[in-house]
Amino acid sequence: MRRLWWISIAVVALLVPVVVLAGSGESEFDSVVHSIESKYHVRANRIPFLGVVSMISENTTQGGVGGLHVADFESFPGPVDGEELNRLVAQKLGAGWGRMIRETSSKGNEQTLIFVHPGEKRMGLFIVDLDKNELNVVELSVDPRHLKESLDRYQHHQPQGEKDVEGSE
Amino acid sequence: MQNRIMALVLGAAVLAAPARAQTAKLPAPSPVEKALAARAFSVDEVTLDKNMLAFAAKFMAGKNKDDAGIQHLIDGLDGIYIRDYEFDKPGQFTAEDVEQLRKYFETSEWSPLVRDRDRKTGESTDVMIKLVNGKTGGMFILDVCPKEISVVLILGPIRMDDLGKLSSLGGLGALGTVEKSVQDKEKKGGHQ
Repeated sequence: MRRLWWISIAVVALLVPVVVLAGSGESEFDSVVHSIESKYHVRANRIPFLGVVSMISENTTQGGVGGLHVADFESFPGPVDGEELNRLVAQKLGAGWGRMIRETSSKGNEQTLIFVHPGEKRMGLFIVDLDKNELNVVELSVDPRHLKESLDRYQHHQPQGEKDVEGSE
Repeated sequence: MQNRIMALVLGAAVLAAPARAQTAKLPAPSPVEKALAARAFSVDEVTLDKNMLAFAAKFMAGKNKDDAGIQHLIDGLDGIYIRDYEFDKPGQFTAEDVEQLRKYFETSEWSPLVRDRDRKTGESTDVMIKLVNGKTGGMFILDVCPKEISVVLILGPIRMDDLGKLSSLGGLGALGTVEKSVQDKEKKGGHQ
């Protein structure tokens, strides 16, 4: 009886951290979206069947692009403090993510933030884009090797005249 | 038992230290850049740290000669940092602001390589290189137009021969011109 008692205590002790971790296991994407919602008092529109869209894109690009998450804020309230938005996103994404690109306008109605998370084989991309009253948050995972192959194939098939357009400028 | 735990913690710290030291941090932007950013109509920033460059270099490997050149060049770099300030009309920054940007890098480690001034248009280009034990350890480019200021900072060993190859990367188009300027300078030096 005493042994059974100890086993049940051990099971509960093992389960508690699992439950706590699962409960607090909000994804980076959700964490950023929720923070934007509470900071700017707006609600995000989630795209229905995005899981299916993500699966299809992963199949059609042969694993090139996957893990797609999109949140769209329509009627976003006016200009924002770019530094504040940048801090909020960086803080919620946490370590491992680095900001690669930031575009900001002085009026605050155009902001673009692109964060990347280089992994072993894939790279995470996190994009926050504000254009006047619309803000989009997109997260995706890309296989750079795949994308490079596609780009190389495109360049290979590009007619000579088009290839030289950039260089001739 | 306590000693063993202490030894384990210290061991882990010693092992972790070099790994941390390897990720070189890019220097903070000069204070004048904050003031410029506040006055600019739009600000574009591109930051590629050592991790990102190492990751990109992994995928540059291929049969293509240019890719191999870029891979070789970016593999050893500590970071690439670009800032572009665009103003809606001329006169929104002063010569003093530009001088302060230059001074930030005018230390004993940095030597001027290219100094180009156009008095008519007010445009100027400065290229400085960082020399560490006779080897190039970085490059700073400051390009000033009446309505635009571009700052490019590349940290790490740079091979001048491969520099132009980086010009195909977004925002680094000016590097092709820098490579040509360096080659011209070397040629002139050789004839003297």
